[in-house]
Amino acid sequence: MGQNKTSDKVILEIDNLAVSYGHVNALKDVSLTVNEGEIVVLIGANGAGKTSIMETVLGVNQVDSGTIKFQGKDITNKPADKIVRSGMFLVPEGRGVFSSMSVTDNLLLGAHHNLKGSKEKMDYVFSSFPILGERKDQVAGTLSGGERQMLAIARALMSSPKMILVDEPSIGLAPKIVNDIFEILVQLNSEGYSILLSEQNVYKALKCAHRGYVMETGKILLSGTSEELLNNSEIRKAYLGA
Amino acid sequence: MEIFIAQVINGLSLGSIYVLLVTGFNLLLLVAMIIHFSFPVVVVFSMYMAWIVLGLTGNNIFLGVAAGISSAILFNIITAPMFQHIMKKRGEVDINSTMVLSMGLGMIITDFLSHSINSGFPIAFPDNLTGRAAGPFIQFGLISMSRGAFLALTVGIVFVTGLFWLLYKTKQGRAFRAIAEDPNGAKLVGLPILKTGLQSYALTGFLGGSTAILMAILLGSASPGLGDQLGHKVLAVSIIAGLGNLKGGLIVGLSLGILEALVQGYWTGTWSNAIAFVIMLIAILVKPKGIFGMKL
Ligand SMILES: Nc1ncnc2c1ncn2[C@@H]1O[C@H](COP(=O)(O)OP(=O)(O)OP(=O)(O)O)[C@@H](O)[C@H]1O
Ligand SMILES: [Mg+2]
Repeated sequence: MGQNKTSDKVILEIDNLAVSYGHVNALKDVSLTVNEGEIVVLIGANGAGKTSIMETVLGVNQVDSGTIKFQGKDITNKPADKIVRSGMFLVPEGRGVFSSMSVTDNLLLGAHHNLKGSKEKMDYVFSSFPILGERKDQVAGTLSGGERQMLAIARALMSSPKMILVDEPSIGLAPKIVNDIFEILVQLNSEGYSILLSEQNVYKALKCAHRGYVMETGKILLSGTSEELLNNSEIRKAYLGA
Repeated sequence: MEIFIAQVINGLSLGSIYVLLVTGFNLLLLVAMIIHFSFPVVVVFSMYMAWIVLGLTGNNIFLGVAAGISSAILFNIITAPMFQHIMKKRGEVDINSTMVLSMGLGMIITDFLSHSINSGFPIAFPDNLTGRAAGPFIQFGLISMSRGAFLALTVGIVFVTGLFWLLYKTKQGRAFRAIAEDPNGAKLVGLPILKTGLQSYALTGFLGGSTAILMAILLGSASPGLGDQLGHKVLAVSIIAGLGNLKGGLIVGLSLGILEALVQGYWTGTWSNAIAFVIMLIAILVKPKGIFGMKL
């Protein structure tokens, strides 16, 4: 898989972030950055806090302390609809497509804040994902898991984002489809989208990402380039079974 | 046969009123995520507001209609922050506590109507609004239709069609449906949940206000207890059809209207409520989740 040239310009900057759900401290002192044009992967077991980071960045969770900056602007505790408007979109864990609604309606929901040019955007996603074009009048509930994942990604594209957060896209998909999805992400990245990815499929994720962060119980344990992480002996032991 | 047809037509008019009320209730349930079973009480409140303005303006129909419609919209928008406050505080959909709020609002309105307006006596709407004095609006033999019945049916059809158009063909409707299916998922795609919820309050206010005017024309009168009585029916229709099921509400609402009209035509008007509830009881015993299934 090819890798896009990245810049040093930071697009997302998280500093000392803490988030809790009632008494559960889900994130403790998390700091990370994503540069423009990068794919950065969050690695961690179930409950490590990957989804919490993504949803907090998107403005869904209340921040206890710390700051989040997107494209140089402070977006800490801003509402999700504002953050989406500013160019960020989440591909949720478990796809989050609306099963009773048609493929077309699902796509248009991605462009809800700006329907201007949605016709062209729709043509663009149908040319990238022909299968969605064939199924455009079907309700999303009738799609296969892989097609739903594509729909969730295509819906993100409909919002004309600068940055896409992709939460565990490989969950529940056959290895061949997982490869397809990762290829799509690399392709999108080469078109200029910055991507923050979360994965438990560590090897494949690191193969397509530029850098990664390893999380455990709400903290960042380790970070480095994909190559460094792939060669790290602890990671090899813990995640790669070597 | 002619009696049958006449009663079915009357039933459809009454049924249109039920459909409008149930649809408003279901929309609030689906989009604003509240159980507002006092919604019909708000509608009756709007009938009273229309009546007051009619009295003050020497039966100016335009102002009376405007007062009825706008008071329902205003009431909904003014009470929306209270409902939304509960939702925000809990950080999740909490239908139970919205029910208590709705009940409270309903009691306040009913008490207000029975103490402070017309000394609690039923109110009657003027003939120039109801068209009573003019006789039947349409007549073929035994089959006749009052102006109210005709308006209720046509406006009912227009509004329900318009509403389905709005839900399935517009951007707002798409957001409504998304929130109805999965409020959490809707938040994650950046839909403005509270703002869209507020739009649904305004829309149901408009529906409710228009229904109030139709009821004033069709029934010709109102009493403080009318809201509670309708509230029970609307809740029952909605549950029997399947909570939140708009198409189900359409069918069951119309059926209830026809059923009541047939009982009135062939038997006795005084028993139509009891009989309607007996049939609804049977329906809910057979299909506890509603005939057409819940859509929540
Ligand atoms: N709404 C919530 N209420 C209470 N605790 C929560 C909530 N959401 C997440 N948590 C807790 O926060 C911690 C982090 O959860 P999170 O979903 O972010 O993990 P994750 O890394 O995405 O896990 P997974 O790989 O299973 O998706 C977990 O301990 C989880 O139980
Ligand atoms: Mg997760």
